[in-house]
Amino acid sequence: MSWESWVISTISRTLAYGTPLLLATLGEIYAERSGVLNLGVEGMMIVGALTGFAVASQTGNPWFGVLAAGVVSGLFSLIHAFASVTLRANQVVSGLALTMLGLGLSGVIGRSYEGRPLMHTLDKISIPLLEKIPVLGPAIFQDQNLLVYIGIGLAILLWFVLFKTRIGISIRAVGEDPATADSLGINVARVRYLCVMVGGVLAGIAGAYLSVAYRPSWTDGMTAGMGWIVIALTIFAFWNPISGMFGAYFFAGLFVLSFRLQAWLSPELLKAMPYILAIVVLIVVSRGTLQKRMGAPSALTLPYTRGED
Amino acid sequence: MNKRFALFAALALVVVLAGAAFAAYEPGTKMTVGFVYVGPIGDYGYSYAHNEGRLAVEALPWADTFYVESVTEGQEGPVIEDLIATHGCDVVITTSFGFMDGTLDAALNHTDVIFGHASGYKRAPNMMTFMADFYQVYYLNGIIAGALTETNKVGYVGAFPIPEVKRHLNAYAMGVKAANPDAEVHVKWIYSWFDPGAAAEATEALIAEGCDAFAFTEDSPTVVQKAAENGMISFGHYGSQMYTFAPDYVVSGQAVNWGSILVDFLQKVYEGEYTAENLANIDYWWLMAQGAVYPEAAPGDPINPLYVDALKAYMIDDPAFGEISAYDLFMIRMAQFGDPGVTFDPFQGPISDRNGNVVVPAGMWLSADSLITMEWAFENVVGAWPGEPE
Amino acid sequence: MMKTPAWIQIDRRPSPSGLTVFAISVIAILFALVMAGLFFEFYGVSALRAYGYIIKGAFGSRLGLTETVRGMIPLLVIGVGLVVAFRALFWNIGAEGQLLMGAVAASGIALFSGIPSPWLIPAMFLGGFAAGALWGVGPAILKAKLGINDVITTLMLNYVAIYTVHWLILGPWKGLTQRGFPYTDRFPTAAFLPMLGGTRIHLPTLAIGLVAAAVMYFVVKKTRVGFEIRVVGENPDAAKYAGISQTKITVLAMVISGGLAGVAGVGEVAGIHHMLFNPSSIALSYGYTAIIVAWLARRNPLAVILTSFLFGVIMRGGDVIKISLGLPFQLVNVFNGLILFFLIGSEIFVRYRVRFGTKKETA
Repeated sequence: MSWESWVISTISRTLAYGTPLLLATLGEIYAERSGVLNLGVEGMMIVGALTGFAVASQTGNPWFGVLAAGVVSGLFSLIHAFASVTLRANQVVSGLALTMLGLGLSGVIGRSYEGRPLMHTLDKISIPLLEKIPVLGPAIFQDQNLLVYIGIGLAILLWFVLFKTRIGISIRAVGEDPATADSLGINVARVRYLCVMVGGVLAGIAGAYLSVAYRPSWTDGMTAGMGWIVIALTIFAFWNPISGMFGAYFFAGLFVLSFRLQAWLSPELLKAMPYILAIVVLIVVSRGTLQKRMGAPSALTLPYTRGED
Repeated sequence: MNKRFALFAALALVVVLAGAAFAAYEPGTKMTVGFVYVGPIGDYGYSYAHNEGRLAVEALPWADTFYVESVTEGQEGPVIEDLIATHGCDVVITTSFGFMDGTLDAALNHTDVIFGHASGYKRAPNMMTFMADFYQVYYLNGIIAGALTETNKVGYVGAFPIPEVKRHLNAYAMGVKAANPDAEVHVKWIYSWFDPGAAAEATEALIAEGCDAFAFTEDSPTVVQKAAENGMISFGHYGSQMYTFAPDYVVSGQAVNWGSILVDFLQKVYEGEYTAENLANIDYWWLMAQGAVYPEAAPGDPINPLYVDALKAYMIDDPAFGEISAYDLFMIRMAQFGDPGVTFDPFQGPISDRNGNVVVPAGMWLSADSLITMEWAFENVVGAWPGEPE
Repeated sequence: MMKTPAWIQIDRRPSPSGLTVFAISVIAILFALVMAGLFFEFYGVSALRAYGYIIKGAFGSRLGLTETVRGMIPLLVIGVGLVVAFRALFWNIGAEGQLLMGAVAASGIALFSGIPSPWLIPAMFLGGFAAGALWGVGPAILKAKLGINDVITTLMLNYVAIYTVHWLILGPWKGLTQRGFPYTDRFPTAAFLPMLGGTRIHLPTLAIGLVAAAVMYFVVKKTRVGFEIRVVGENPDAAKYAGISQTKITVLAMVISGGLAGVAGVGEVAGIHHMLFNPSSIALSYGYTAIIVAWLARRNPLAVILTSFLFGVIMRGGDVIKISLGLPFQLVNVFNGLILFFLIGSEIFVRYRVRFGTKKETA
């Protein structure tokens, strides 16, 4: 086996495994950019996974599953939005509660779906001309799921919206200084609700990808902590969608490599690598003045009320 | 004097009644058997198989069963207490290695209750151990893998690098060699009994190394699905449930019938042969001959019919049988394993590990103890092997 | 805020009394239980019967009550530490990893140090505290000196702790008597914590938890250090002007929080399991559940005793419905989630007084 095909397959698998991380991270970036910390990603993802599998199973169409997952998780995230924005509750606890509720509901409702194979899964596609490029072609443009490309496209689109449009400015203003945003006529509550929902929709789609495309089946707890990685990736990406994309692929790449390099390095060390490196990268980056421009939205986790202390 | 006598009689009555309340199981009467599983029965793997065993017991006219699933290792103590105190279990069966100390503690505390512990080694007068091991079945699967591989590279996704998994892997590797002396067995470890994401990427890593036939130890059909996605064959772990995920690509697999052991044991308890006092040396180590394990693709098929022709066409030059097809070799070995007279074992010498050490000299067989503490890797195994002796 | 009709008056409560908070919390939990009862009905089990089982299971027998307390111990110990950390505005999501590192230290000392009884157990507790504290101090320094987000650093270290345990139990500390399975050898009996006879309650850890709750209450409320912690948490700018070293306070808060989490880890391996093995079976998400326990205690270390007991009951209840009713164990998470959301929802009634009727005119 040539080093070429090794590289190709590693990149290809990185994209496949990194896509749910990417999609959910993009959503959480938007939520946090508007000032709402949502620790409920794991719960939203797994609700999406179950919904995706169940609907794909019943209707025979995997894309319906993906869509339904987005809708259901989006609605599910409204609970956290209501608690955080309207009731101005502690966002850490509300997010954790959402995760618990999501894990519990999916575990209970999903019982009848366990052990069932999915007959129609998402097809793999190849992009005609681009796949001919040497090495990178087969790595990126061959035999991938459409959601992989949707993920990359969304990363670019969401970056553009966040930094180059008025909507993005509103979102960022609400996250940095809601009082000023409010006085400028921006509906703080509405922006926050929408951003949390975007987070929910994308987390749901990410979960559906797992149960409908990556490993077509449903098992209780199948997200296996991916939601927590997403929360870390959001911070690691400094709340920037493009960095989020690289961060997701960074983690996914290390995960994929941890099996391929087993013969040479301790497997436990390889598994711990992404987490250690994340901290190392943060240390390296924080030492510079970059930190000022790349910090958390100032109003993150702080509820906003007009005209109050 | 009358009063004292009455008091004494009353006390004696109480003592007798109390003794009767805590009395051990009476042979020939209705038996309540409790089961403790480490995972959910919906895992379609390990705990599912144990539950199938329970159902075999439930079918017995004189036995009632009760089960508790998803009990984390270390937390079995209160569950066992509940089974005994609240559900009146006469027999408690615990089904994971990590339940060993908790089961033993309970056995020492409840000397009238009978305990059975799967895969452990600590026993007591009222606690026996039992195990159904797959290594013979893996050998048979290996023959098929060696015959059908087109790249001469066969893959194995392993949970933990512990003797139980190494034993299965080595048996598989020996089967591969018997059919195909040029083939290699590549291994990847995922450090979990259940981790579909890891299993998926480990399989992909093996595919990237050129493997095209897959066996595994992981409690989900992930490896089967990943292999099938790439048009490659696999061997289902824990029986025919996995077959349904890729009926065109699962060629065989390892299936277990825990019920065979349980029914044998409980029948003897029912007849009074086994009691809460004589179990200290009862250790079931059941293999194919006792019907506890067997190769299976779809229910009833040791080999997937789609592949029979290919196996009949593949010829092996076997030292013992001469020119023989893979299919015939499989059938002969399966019959030999099924013979209680033990005429063949993969682990009979001479065997060298991949570092050139002789681990089984010519003319010798591996003892049960050596099977249970195996750390070496067979000569055609490639990949990381933590704990390998020099 | 929301627009309200004229016949509802909403006024801010100046400072809600402890009794008010408690009463409102209890009502919220009752509402949650009613809603959770619907789930039982959905499974064809009468909610009353189910709750009957839970109450009996958690309180009605010696086994039940002691199991409730046993589940409460790590939540109490970690919860007290988290209250201190949260008071200093340090979001310690890493208690799970700090617990594991405490367990690692205790295991190492128990198996390899050769320290004789009666010094062995105190050494294990000290070692566990130190290990947990060290694991928590890193993120504290990174936040204080480099402004690195505490949520991510503490969370990442949880995973590093998990893989460290994996490496130990499969590598250098692999048991010689465990048939090659991923467990260390059993600890020598000198390392077994004293238990409440016939139960799984490991007394030293429980005692440490209760004492820590009282001590931390006193420290936070009455001492200078406690005052500094509170200022750093409530008004970081004022703290700076008052010359309080944010670094010193953050590190101190994390030494306490990480150390206590480490102590909880010692309790689990030396009191319950008597060996080191699969990290998720040791930590059992105590580190995450304790976050809720700490929040529910509303920044009062003594109240953690109550809230950790409540969660001990819930966890025992979850086991009971699994064992006795065969209901899926995941219902416990639904339970927890509902209770939390109702409590969150009830906050509004703590902060605001809702009255019906029009506002009275003042003279």
